[in-house]
Amino acid sequence: MSLVSDVSTLDKPGSASTAARGRRSRGRYLPYYLAIAPFFVVFAVFWCYPLVYSLFLSFQRWDGIGPMQFVGLANYRFLVTDPAFWTSMLNTLIIWIMSVIPMTILALLIALGLNSTIRFTGLYRIAYFIPNVTSIVAMSLVFSSIFSEQFGILNWVLGAVGVDPVPWLSNPWGIKTAISVLIIWRWVGYNAIIFLAGLQAIPDEVLEAARVDGASPVQTFFRVTLPLLRPVLLFSVLMSAIGGMQVFAESQVLVGNRGGPDQAGLTMVLYFYDQAFYYNDFGYGAAISWGIFLVVVIFVVINWRLIQRPGRREDAR
Amino acid sequence: MTLTRRAFLTAALGAATLSASTLTAAGCASPTTASPGRLTLWYSKDGLSDTVLADAVQRFPADRLNLTPIGDGLKHRLLAAMSGGAYLPDITMLGDDIASYFADADQFVDLNTVGAGALKSQYLPWKWDSGTTEDGHMIGFPIDIGPSALYYRHDLFAQAGFPSEPDDVAAEVPTWDDYFRFGQELLRALPGRYLLPDTKMVFTYSMAQQPVKYFDRQNHYLGDQGHVRAAWDRALRAFDLGLTAGYGGAQDQGQSVDRHAAWNAGKELSFVNACWITGELKQSAPGTAGSWRVCRSPGGAGNQGGSYLAITRYCPRPQEAFAVVSWLLSPENQPRAYLDAGLFPSSPSAFGDPRLLEPEPFFGGQATMAVFARSATDVKPAYFSPWDITISDTYTDELKNVELAGKDPVQAWADAQNKVNRLLQHQGVI
Repeated sequence: MSLVSDVSTLDKPGSASTAARGRRSRGRYLPYYLAIAPFFVVFAVFWCYPLVYSLFLSFQRWDGIGPMQFVGLANYRFLVTDPAFWTSMLNTLIIWIMSVIPMTILALLIALGLNSTIRFTGLYRIAYFIPNVTSIVAMSLVFSSIFSEQFGILNWVLGAVGVDPVPWLSNPWGIKTAISVLIIWRWVGYNAIIFLAGLQAIPDEVLEAARVDGASPVQTFFRVTLPLLRPVLLFSVLMSAIGGMQVFAESQVLVGNRGGPDQAGLTMVLYFYDQAFYYNDFGYGAAISWGIFLVVVIFVVINWRLIQRPGRREDAR
Repeated sequence: MTLTRRAFLTAALGAATLSASTLTAAGCASPTTASPGRLTLWYSKDGLSDTVLADAVQRFPADRLNLTPIGDGLKHRLLAAMSGGAYLPDITMLGDDIASYFADADQFVDLNTVGAGALKSQYLPWKWDSGTTEDGHMIGFPIDIGPSALYYRHDLFAQAGFPSEPDDVAAEVPTWDDYFRFGQELLRALPGRYLLPDTKMVFTYSMAQQPVKYFDRQNHYLGDQGHVRAAWDRALRAFDLGLTAGYGGAQDQGQSVDRHAAWNAGKELSFVNACWITGELKQSAPGTAGSWRVCRSPGGAGNQGGSYLAITRYCPRPQEAFAVVSWLLSPENQPRAYLDAGLFPSSPSAFGDPRLLEPEPFFGGQATMAVFARSATDVKPAYFSPWDITISDTYTDELKNVELAGKDPVQAWADAQNKVNRLLQHQGVI
């Protein structure tokens, strides 16, 4: 909200001036506009144009080479009656839930640990952040060795402690678990660093006051630290939702383009990729991408409501 | 010199204008082919022989060949260049999904117009025809093929007291049924192993042996008919008999961790595959060198995979381009490509080349060329539709659901039919 008021005050002098002054000041601002132009040019060419074009494409049948054929809403009709699309949507949501909850808890624990370590803090931070900048395909290949059913390290370890091997990459829930673990591994460090920043922003006075009042460490955590971390937690959940809706490479490398048995690893973006770039059905691919867009919008609205609600309660108080 | 803000902005403005104008100029002048005045060739890495290519550069100095190996996604780049109408290759490689380009055959030079017809007799007829549309527009010149055969563990077969020499094994398993019966007995002697990798393999290679695939030449869908059902039932029988391993995870070429481990551990006793898997087998299971043999596949000859070179219609000098293509893939150069990159010759005259009939240590001194050459010659010509790969994937997906996710086979067949019908309706075929 503060952003909006700032902009309006900035606008005021311009709008109050005469037309001549407006023209001159517009000329005066030209270098500034030019200075920010590169971003907008790139944005227009590489974002806006493909966006509009994909909408156009979603009404066509096109194999990528020959002439396009206008098919009206046929792609969308096919989309809403396509069980694979609904499966992919459900899979995406399930995988997101399966990854975001353990990841947040784990990241919080790591952040608390990092916050209380005295030595080598920089080293730990780098160590936890490294998974996030590692090539995702390389990681997925490593994970497919770990989860390999008959010869994987994980099943070997399970066997060593007397547990029956789990068919990680052929059982539908095994596949979802494997993908979730890969996502958790990749993002837990990133979120831990963000939580750590949040923890360090909590003033010592508050924590000291809690200690003076006789609060136990557990009470301090749940009554003081966690509430104060709320904005950071919300940020992390929101970011993970944006990432979670776009899960693709993890599934593709672990179970292949088709999503594995029972399409258990078929995420929305993987299905889009499969149709558009593997089978070259570009019209339908574009329709899927707009379907994904709608799902994401609904998701964002839900998230936004969740974030807004406590704020309103505070206002009412 | 101190950099004032005004000076900086002026400089930035100048730079921006300059780059904008160069961009515009370049945009207007974007060439149709990737390197005008030269012949540009796009090919997948390992899709052509490097030594033959290097010789071609020397041999055709006037064409100034611009060789562009593409690691992955050649098709994406080709489609992007074609829809943009710029930076196109003069010569490009096409994969075994060549039928999906037939609807847009006008994008490619009809190789018959540049004299391909005179060379026809030098190549396998079924391969030659597979690069030509129904109305005779030839877009693809044969590179390699993928004749299939039965790969098996000679040492383990012998250890179990079963026939183990290629001719004996081939005589023992002329049909898939014989192969499965043989496998059941074999697995009793060698418990804890698999006869073959998965249902997909049985289905894919059963279909590869068929003279009719999923469509007839009038583009009528045949997938719900006897031969597809027979391949499906056969795949499920292998599963029911407990002969399949059913590996989990991605099974794309070179990606199956479990399968590589099974090879190394001697768990996979045999498999039917096109010859291009030899490279992966050697690389992933070097410890098994000498233990493998190859013989005629149960059910007979089949082909799976193989590529083509095509000349785009934007190529200003198709005659010269064709001279390069036909030299690269000439019967004389094909043995070199096989030795260099494992590209199985599409020209039968190469099959008798003494260099290709040398004993191979990996196969215990067997010359596998003889087996594959026989398979290659016996392949029956077939009609491929642009949707064959999608349809095949749909069937093998459902087989995988039965094999790995415990789906009811009756339901799986019904779902496969339903999915294919929806797909074909969506594509406007039926």
